[in-house]
This record gives sequence, structure tokens and C-alpha cells, in this order.
Amino acid sequence: MAEKEIPERQGMSLFEATGVTKRFGGLTAVNNVDFHVEEGEIVGLIGPNGAGKTTFFNVISGFMRPNDGDVRFDGKTILGRTPNQICKSGMTRTFQIVKPFPEMTVTDNVLVGAFCRHSRAAAARRKAEEVIDLVGLGAQALKLGSELTVAGRKRVELAKALATEPRLILLDEVMAGLTPTEVSGMIEVLARLRDRGLTMVIVEHVMQVIMNLSDRVYVLHHGVRIAEGSPAEVTSDPAVMEAYLGAGFGVEAAP
Amino acid sequence: MSLRIHPVYAVGLILLLALPLVAYSDGMKAVMPSGLAGSSLMHIFILIFFFAFMGQAWNIIGGFAGQLSIGHAAFFGVGAYVSSILYIHLGISPWLGMIAATGFAALVGAGLGMVSFHYGIKGPFFTLVTVAFTEIVRLILLHWEFVGAANGLLLPYEAEPTFWQFQFTGKEPYYYIALAMMLGSILLVSWIARSRFGYYLHAIRQDEDAAEAVGVPTKRAKIQAIALSAGLAGAGGTFYAQYTQYIVPDDLVIGRISVEILLGAVIGGAGTVMGPIIGAFILIPVGEASRLVFESGGAGGSLTTILQSDAGLGEKFALYLQYLGAGGGGGLAIILYGVILMMVVLVMPGGVLPWLRRKFRSARA
Repeated sequence: MAEKEIPERQGMSLFEATGVTKRFGGLTAVNNVDFHVEEGEIVGLIGPNGAGKTTFFNVISGFMRPNDGDVRFDGKTILGRTPNQICKSGMTRTFQIVKPFPEMTVTDNVLVGAFCRHSRAAAARRKAEEVIDLVGLGAQALKLGSELTVAGRKRVELAKALATEPRLILLDEVMAGLTPTEVSGMIEVLARLRDRGLTMVIVEHVMQVIMNLSDRVYVLHHGVRIAEGSPAEVTSDPAVMEAYLGAGFGVEAAP
Repeated sequence: MSLRIHPVYAVGLILLLALPLVAYSDGMKAVMPSGLAGSSLMHIFILIFFFAFMGQAWNIIGGFAGQLSIGHAAFFGVGAYVSSILYIHLGISPWLGMIAATGFAALVGAGLGMVSFHYGIKGPFFTLVTVAFTEIVRLILLHWEFVGAANGLLLPYEAEPTFWQFQFTGKEPYYYIALAMMLGSILLVSWIARSRFGYYLHAIRQDEDAAEAVGVPTKRAKIQAIALSAGLAGAGGTFYAQYTQYIVPDDLVIGRISVEILLGAVIGGAGTVMGPIIGAFILIPVGEASRLVFESGGAGGSLTTILQSDAGLGEKFALYLQYLGAGGGGGLAIILYGVILMMVVLVMPGGVLPWLRRKFRSARA
């Protein structure tokens, strides 16, 4: 894959987190992290287990309030606003532990998201059907949320978020629990979204996804940002290798 | 969900519309067991419609939104008192009083919802709040002289009541009013079920965080749901006050009433449009029937005589059945009622209507 040019930061970013710190009692889960996303970009967020990714993700999606720092979407702070208000303003998230509405059909699940922009059921239904086709769930539209496989649930999770017509979507480990075939299927879906110009933040363990899709990657370790750059840059970064493989390996493996 | 009416419901509605015409006939008296024709029969159906309506009111917050309220007796009581006070003190027609009762009970519901949902009170804790709230309302009414305190309120008797006074000499008008209220509540809820609001409430019940994430204003939707639900319960209160002509806190604003309101909906299928209706049509007749069987007539022999007799175990059991059949053990009506409830919950989790739907689904597949 060709090296992508990292956009130069100029003026206001679509999304910007500055000095984000989150403490639980004596534990500092996220420590003074700066993070920004430009319009049309796909940003990866990686880090070893316990790096603080999920906490950071919950803070930037508005589900958790930071102890310090600011989170701004489209120039306005999201702190103190409820997730539904943030969603209305054009930013939404998915959950790593997927949350389909179990007693609703796939269509109805997505319909709930579509109601975010369309108050009339007929218009919302059209939007829902369009999104269901986009993520490749057409054949399962009438199944109940509880009847789906893990891969199906992940797609419903994505479709629900897409139906709200976001400008920025935060994806929390959409690949977790998928087989390699299912992962490629999902990558295809995400690539389709990228081609439509959707801005995305992807938290992921599956490096294939990050390498294939991201324009830029942030690496968290022990709640601190240890690297930022293109996928190729961060994967060859000694600090990143050390974080993933332990001290000693990083130096040896460095080119 | 479409607006099409299932043929079973259509036939049922025609029968219900015609029932008062034949309820007092000799034919009905001949067919029905003693004491179950005429006005007793009308009374049972009025109760069914009334509890179907109340169950439907509860269904909006308890079923659709999944916020288990055991406090609807409070909204019901508030409604009954509002229209009764307006009539007794200001001579305002109970029909207008019913509108006032709806509005006031809705405000009370919205207030309770704002306090509870603003502080994120969920699940069993919300249920406890509704229980405590009922008790607060009961105690206020019980000690407030202006509303009759423990004596309650007796609505003035009119020898020749007019329609405006919402008093009738026969049972038929009450029958049709209750039927109309039930039908109105069905229309309202079936509209909700197909609207954005209904989808929001269903989403909230199933996963509140997920609903928030896709733009559902969960707090506002829950407050709207409890206000609507409480308002309807308040309207039910006015009907009850006009039907019985006498309201007293210890009969109205108690947990038993709250439970009776929600039972029909839970048994029939909470969160479905027809569940509370089906539930009321099952529960009220079962309740009345068990009362008829076990509470009428004198007790034959005594339980201790049977137990201490020399008869064998099988024989003892037969004697015991005889004793029950003769009306022994009055409390058994309630026990039987409880057993039936437990059976339904065990056999048909989710309620009768969802169970039937699953049956039909698998039969067709």
C-alpha cells in the first residue's frame, strides 16, 4: 500500500481532544492525551491490553467525562452533553460488546438509528433499508437481533450507527470475535464507507485492519500517547515495539 | 404492525357492543351460572374494560419503556380525587374533571419521572421509588381534611342524573364508557407502537446505552412516557370515582391496586398493543370465577376433621376436594388466582400474546 501523505494541521480540526486525562481513584487510565481527526481521515487507535484505549474511547465519545482536558467536535465542546445530543450533532459510536436490540428485527434495529434524522417512519424506513444494503445485511433484515451470529451483530451495530448519518463515526473493535473471512468482509464494508468520504476513528487489535485502512495511527501505552504517524511509521517505532513485545525486543528488531 | 384488525378482535368487538342488549334477558339467566347474568355480568365486563384500560396506561411506561412501575395506583388515585373535588366543590362536570384529572396526573407523573430519571434511577430502584411515591400520596390524602382524610369523598347522589353529571341509574352507560375508553387506549397505543416514540421506548427497554448512542433522547422519552401513562391512569381514576361514587385512600392508593393494574399487562404481554387487553380478559373472569367457586356457600365439615379421620390418603384427598367444593377455605380464591398467575408466567414467559405469536410462527414454519 502506498504511503499516504499525512495532512498538515491547519486551523480547526473536525475532532479534537486536548490534554485528556481520566483517573479512577488513584489509577490514571488516560494521561494528558492529545488527539485530532481531520475531515475525511481514517484514524487508528491501537495499544496493548490495558493501554487505556477503551477509557479514552469512552471519553471521546461522550460516554465518560474526563477529569481534565477538552473534547471538541466541529468546533464545539462535547463535555457535559449527552450521547444522544452528540449523535444529533453528527458523531456516533459503536460498542465493542455489541448491543443490538435483541427483540427487534434487523430492520427495526437500524430504524431506531434512522429516526435520529427522520421523524416520520416511512422516511426513516427508507434510510434504514439503504444502510442495511450498504453493510450487506439485506438477506437477514427480518431476523431478530438475538438470532444473529457475532458477525451479523457487528454489522447491525455498524448499520445502526450509520443510519444516524454521522460525519464522524467511532468504531470500537468491530473485528473482535470475527473469523479471518469475516474480517475481510468487514474490511470491505469499511473501505466502502471510506470511499464515501466518511471520517472514522478505529480502535482495533487486528493490525491488518489498521494497516489497510488507516491514514494515521495513534498508539497508547499505560494511558500515555507513545507514538503518532502513518501505519508504517508507528509499526517500526522502537517505543511501540517495546510496548507490544517487551523491553529488549524493540532495540533488536529495530532496523 | 399494520392497522388491519385481526378477525378475532373484530368479532369480539361486535359481541361486546351487543352484550348489554342481551345481558338482562331470560336466555342469559338460563345459560349463565346463578348470579352471573344481568347487572353482575355487566359489572364484570365493566371491570374487564376498566382494568384493560388501566393496564394499557401502565403498558406505555412499564411495557414499552420497560420501567417497572408499581405506583400507578397513585396516579389513579390523584385522578379520582381531582375530578371529585372539582365536582363537589365547584360543580364542574366530571367530564371536564376527567380532562383536568388527566392533565394533573400527567404533571405528577412527569414530576416523578424528572426526579427519577434525572438522577439515573433505573431498574428495581425506580420500582422502589414508585412504591414509596404511592405511600406518600396515600398518606397525604389520608391526613388532608379538605379531601375528606380517612373518610374519603362521597360523590353527591343525584336522583335524576344528567349526562353532564356522569352519573347513570343503570350499568349500560358505564359499560359503553368503559368500552370506549378501552378502545381509545388501544388506538393510542397502536399509534405509538408504529411511531418514532414507540421505537424509542422499545429501544430504551432493550438497551438504554445503545439507544443513547444512536441518538435516542432516553431521558426525555422516558419522562414523556410516564407523563402519558400517568395521565391515562388519572382518567381511569375519574371513571372509577363516578362508577363507585365513593373514593377513599385505603381502597385506591395502595400497592394491591398498582399490582392489579400491571398484572393484566404482564400476563397478556407487556410492550405489545393487545397484551393488556387480553390479560384483563383472562384475569378478571378467573378472579371472579375463583371467588364464586370458593367463597360462596358454607363450608362442609372442617379441615381438622378430615385430617384426623382414619381414612386412607386417597380418601382424605377426596374428602378434601369435597370440602373445597362445598366452599371451605375462603382464602383459596386468592391462592388459586396466584397459582394460575405462576403457571402463566412459567409456561408463557413474556405473556400470553407473545406466546401465541411464537406458536403460530412455528406452526407456519
